Amino acid sequence: MIGLSIHFLLSVIALLLVLFFIFVLYLFFQRERENHFLTARETYIKNYSQCWYEYLFNDEIFSVVLVPRGRAQVEAIEIIFSSYLKNIINENVRQKIKEFSNVYLIKFYAQDLRSKRWSIRMNALYRISELHIDELLEACKKLERTNISETEYFQLLKIYSSFQPDLFIEKIKVPNASYSESEYRRLFVLLEEDVFIRFFDEFDRWPANIQYAVIDTAAAKKNMKYIDRLKQLLTHDVTEIKIRALKGLFEIGVIDDIEPFVPFVTSDFWEARLMVGKIFKHVPLTYTYSYLELLLQDENWWVRSQAAKTIAEDREGLAKLQQFIASSSDQYGIEMAQEIVARKQGNR
Amino acid sequence: MNKIIIAEDIMQEHEVKRYFEIWRESVIRSHLTITAVFLKLANFTPSTEVERCNINVQISNFLKSKIRKTDLLFQSADGDHWGILFLQSSDVEAEAFLRRIYKMLKNNNVVKEFNQLGIKASITEIRNNHVTFDTLVEKNKEKLADDSQPMWLIERVTDYRVQPIEQVKVSIIEQNVIFRKVLETTLHQLHIPNFALEVTAYEDGYSFLQSNTYKSGHTHLVVMNDILPRKNGLEILHTLRKMPNEKKFIIYMMSERNSEGAILNAYEGGVDEYIVKPFNLRLLEAKIKRTFARFWL
Repeated sequence: MIGLSIHFLLSVIALLLVLFFIFVLYLFFQRERENHFLTARETYIKNYSQCWYEYLFNDEIFSVVLVPRGRAQVEAIEIIFSSYLKNIINENVRQKIKEFSNVYLIKFYAQDLRSKRWSIRMNALYRISELHIDELLEACKKLERTNISETEYFQLLKIYSSFQPDLFIEKIKVPNASYSESEYRRLFVLLEEDVFIRFFDEFDRWPANIQYAVIDTAAAKKNMKYIDRLKQLLTHDVTEIKIRALKGLFEIGVIDDIEPFVPFVTSDFWEARLMVGKIFKHVPLTYTYSYLELLLQDENWWVRSQAAKTIAEDREGLAKLQQFIASSSDQYGIEMAQEIVARKQGNR
Repeated sequence: MNKIIIAEDIMQEHEVKRYFEIWRESVIRSHLTITAVFLKLANFTPSTEVERCNINVQISNFLKSKIRKTDLLFQSADGDHWGILFLQSSDVEAEAFLRRIYKMLKNNNVVKEFNQLGIKASITEIRNNHVTFDTLVEKNKEKLADDSQPMWLIERVTDYRVQPIEQVKVSIIEQNVIFRKVLETTLHQLHIPNFALEVTAYEDGYSFLQSNTYKSGHTHLVVMNDILPRKNGLEILHTLRKMPNEKKFIIYMMSERNSEGAILNAYEGGVDEYIVKPFNLRLLEAKIKRTFARFWL
C-alpha cells in the first residue's frame, strides 16, 4: 500500500484548487476581453455604418471619427468594407476605400505581416488584396523572403497580380510551388485584360496546368476579345488544348464562321465531335444541318445525343429530325432522333 | 332651333355614359389611361338641313373608318359634336390621330362637295377618377364653343391628367446587415413619380413570410437574395408566385451566381429581374424606375 500523508494530500488538493482558480480567472478575463472587443466592434458598426454610407456613396465630407482606434474598430471597418465590395460595384467607392486603407489601416496590416502566427499573416494578406493596399507591396515582398507557407505564397501571387503584373508573370514562370488548374484560374481571373492576353502570346512556353487554366479563364470571362486567340489554338498539336479551346468558344457563344470547326466533325476524338455539336447551337441550322446529320449518326452516344438536341433547338429542328427518321437507314441515329422528338413534344 | 341630326350606327352620348363610368374606375386599378377627343365643325354654317345632315353622316362615317376597334365613337346629344374615347392611349397618341385625320380631310376632300370644310378638336387625358361623364362633355364643349376659333385647332382640357399617388410596398430580404441597410437607404431615397414606396427590410425568408405584409393588395416590389437563412429566395419566389394575385409582385433576385443555369432557373421560376452581385446601385435604381414607368402610358 502506498503511504501518503494526509498533509501531503491536502497540499496537492490546495495546489490544484489554486491552479484551477487561476485558470478560471484566466478564462473569465479572456471572455471579458472578447466581449469587450465584440461590443466595441458592434458599437462602431452601429454608430458609423451610416456615416460610411454617406461618405462613400453620397460624397459627404470625410469625418475623423471614422478613423479606427484599436483592433476592434479595424475589424468593424473590415466588415463594412467587405460588405460593400462583395455586393456593390462602384469605382468611386472602391477608390475611396483604397485611399482610406492605404492611409489609416496600413500600420495595422504591416504589424500583422510581421506576426509569428500564420492565421494573422494570412488575414493581413487577404485584406491587402481585397482593399488594394498597394503601399504594403514592399512589405509583402519582404515577407516572401521569409519562410512562408504555400498558401501564403499563393496569396502573395494574387497581390502581385493586382499591384505589379510584371512581377506576377515573372514569379509564375519560376514557380516556388506548383498549383492546380483551379488555383491558377483563381489567379488569372483577377488579371487585367492586357496582362491576361500576354499568356496567349507565350502560350507554348507555359506548363500544361497553366495552359489549361488560361483557356478556361478566357472562357469564364466570356470576353469576345479572346475568340481569335482561342481559334488559333484549334490548330495546336495537343488534343486536350484543342478540345478545351472548342469548349471555351462554345461558352463565349459567338460564332461568326463555321469553317474552323468543320474539320472537328470527323475528328478521331469523340470529345471534339461533341464540342462541335454544342458549338453549332450558336449557328443557324441552315448552315450546320449537313454536319449535324453526320454527328447524329456518330458511333458515340454523347455525340449523337448532342447533335439531336442541337437540331431540336432550331425552329425547324423537329421537322428536320422527323425527316431524318423517315429517310435515314442508321438505326442508332433514328432512335436518338425519335427520343429527342418525343421529349420535345412532351414539353409542349 | 335646328333639328338634331343623328347619324346611324353611332353610339349616342347617353349610351356611352354607362361604359365611361366603368372605365373611369379602371383608370387607377388597371393603370388604364383614357383619352377623350371631342370634335366639332369649325366656321361652318350649313345653309339647309339636308346639307347639315349630309355632312354629319359623312363625317361620322369617315371617323368610324379611322378609329381602332378598341376606340369608341359617339355623337353628342346636341348633334354638333363627335366624341372618341381612346382606351390605353395618352394624349400624344390622340394628337397624332387628330393630325392624321386633319391631313386627310385637308388633302383628300373626304367630305365631298364641301372643300372649305374644317374641324376643330379638344383633347382630355384622364389619369384619375375625379371626372364624371357629364362634366367631361360640358368642359370640352366649352373649349370648342367659340365660333371664331380657327379650323384645325387642337385644344386641351388638363384637369384630369394628374395621376394619384399609388402606395407600393417594398420588401428587402438580405442577410448581410450592412448591405441590407444600404439597400434600405437607397430605396428610401429613390423618387419614383406618382408612387410612394413603403420600404421594409428582413434578414431572412421566414421573417418575411411571417410578416404578412405580402398579403395586402398593394403592388409589391420584393428585392431578395437567392440564398437566405431559414426560407431561401427560391422558396419565397414559389410561395409568392403560387398566390392568386401573384401579378402584383415585382420580384428582383440578387445572386452571386452568374451561371446560365442559375439565371434561367430563376427566370423560369418567375423573377422579373436577376441581378448578379456585385452590382451597381445606380443600375438597380434605374431598373426599378423603368419597371414602374411601364405601369402607365
